[in-house]
Amino acid sequence: MLNVSGVSRSFGGVYAVRDVSLSVADGEVCGVIGPNGAGKSTLFNLITGHLAADHGRISFLGQRVDRLAPHRRARMGMSIVFQAARVFRGMTVEENVMVGAHGHTRAGFAAAALRLPRHQADEREIAAEAADALARVGLAEWADRPADLLPIGQQRALQLARALCARPRLLLLDEPASGLRAEERERLATLVEELRAAGLTILLIEHDVGFVTRLADRVVVLDLGRVIADGPPAEIRSDPAVLAAYLGQAS
Amino acid sequence: MTRRLGLAAGLLVAAVTLALPAVLDDSALAVYILLGLAAMVTVGVSLLMGYAGQVSLGQGAFYAIGAYTAALLALNGAPPLLGLVAAPVAAALSALLIGVPLLRLRGHHLAFATLAMQLILLSLAGQLDFTGGDIGLQGIPQFSVGAFEASSASVYAYLTWAGLALVMLITHNVITSRPGRALRALATSEIAAASAGIPVGRYKLVVFALSATFAGLAGGIYCFYTGYVAPGSFPVLISIQYIVMAVVGGLGTIWGAVAGAAAITLLVQGLDRLASLPGMPSYAPSVLSYAVYALVLIVVVLFMPHGLVPAVSRRLSRRRAEVPYR
Ligand SMILES: Nc1ncnc2c1ncn2[C@@H]1O[C@H](COP(=O)(O)OP(=O)(O)OP(=O)(O)O)[C@@H](O)[C@H]1O
Ligand SMILES: [Mg+2]
Repeated sequence: MLNVSGVSRSFGGVYAVRDVSLSVADGEVCGVIGPNGAGKSTLFNLITGHLAADHGRISFLGQRVDRLAPHRRARMGMSIVFQAARVFRGMTVEENVMVGAHGHTRAGFAAAALRLPRHQADEREIAAEAADALARVGLAEWADRPADLLPIGQQRALQLARALCARPRLLLLDEPASGLRAEERERLATLVEELRAAGLTILLIEHDVGFVTRLADRVVVLDLGRVIADGPPAEIRSDPAVLAAYLGQAS
Repeated sequence: MTRRLGLAAGLLVAAVTLALPAVLDDSALAVYILLGLAAMVTVGVSLLMGYAGQVSLGQGAFYAIGAYTAALLALNGAPPLLGLVAAPVAAALSALLIGVPLLRLRGHHLAFATLAMQLILLSLAGQLDFTGGDIGLQGIPQFSVGAFEASSASVYAYLTWAGLALVMLITHNVITSRPGRALRALATSEIAAASAGIPVGRYKLVVFALSATFAGLAGGIYCFYTGYVAPGSFPVLISIQYIVMAVVGGLGTIWGAVAGAAAITLLVQGLDRLASLPGMPSYAPSVLSYAVYALVLIVVVLFMPHGLVPAVSRRLSRRRAEVPYR
């Protein structure tokens, strides 16, 4: 599904991601952990195209994507939920989620301005998918509220709904559980389990090691921009390099 | 409830709009036409700034491009209808061309660049022979379709307000649809918008061109109505005026653009009358108009940060909400 090989990116001479290789198989849930500043979010930005890599290649669904613009990669089926909330202001919750369907619908300016049948058909489809996505994340009754007035937990859920509305092949979640209350966290975990059961491929960044080991088939550990471990959760927990770099630091 | 209220309000506005040209005298009609033209441009500014989050301090340039295009065609013997259609097309094409380098800029950089674009265009129009230099183009024939000639101001009033209705309808249809949601999304975050599969650069270019189209149409009508165009008809102040109108009426509302254009146009007219009273110094008109833009902007930003229309509609809905109706 996804293949990252030898990818590096530096900021002002300092490597944020250094010679990282990893591959994610179809239907796999891959956790990415590492201390603050390890380069996890940078890696996500390189995969989704918001940052250009200095070296290395990235392929997705068997096609090289490292020169493609972010919106092209999104249209191929990459959906990302960012670490910081990026909710579209001045739009309702429902409209925010509807934006997610942009990539797989086509009604453009002319179709909209002239209210052509193509526009009507797309609108119906988009509204139905948005309603579906909102229900999945438990935001159905918030649909008509202004999105920027939602509490942070719901803003996360909103972004997840938007990502789902895009019909992703690969879902990238950057610390989706941070700032959530216990029951919201549980709800999120259940949803991720459902998505995995439905066969969706997921890359999941999370600081909460318990959360990651519960959900992930495999865990990749980053430290100072490098991959220091890659394997099943049980192995990762006892890996001496990981304990030194990450778990050791946390205790 | 709100729907029916909106429909009633819409019908009332339409009725008044249609009735006014019949009752207004020629000087009042001139104000009415200029108001409609300004509103047409301002709807585009509101679409561009209020919905898509891109600033243009040079919207007057597209107004000028539309006016010069229609004027040049008409003076060279093309049917006026062709000129009127070519005006928005030429403005849109120029916007597409200029927009490619310009829209890489953001915020105040984009604002300055669009301002510079208008200044360059004005000085070109003032230098070139085929645009008539500083004197401009005169003797533009009346607007006509076939044998019908627009000989009275009221015809231009109907043309203007029909154009405005069309522009408002297009804008409404666009913003309440897939491309409109994409524009509103990229106004907040281009990165998040791109992640949803939106080609951000292309969408910014298209909305820039669409707003220019509206300005170009207004310019086309303007040149037939006044019968001449010159660089002096499109000062930089006119671009600033559109922004003040959009902000005063309420950015990101279509009716706000019209309300803002009406409020500012009428205010400026009133002040012009005041400034030209006997005993007023010769610099009074320009000083007063500058002062008014500044003052109005400050008052609105302080007391109605979302503009006239949102302030009024919020007050109305609050009042309605106090009545238990469910
Ligand atoms: N745009 C940028 N410009 C300069 N430096 C950056 C930029 N983005 C990230 N960095 C640096 O790269 C390193 C990795 O950052 P990154 O955000 O990828 O870490 P992270 O693993 O996601 O951390 P966290 O757990 O805090 O989210 C950090 O040292 C950060 O300061
Ligand atoms: Mg991060």
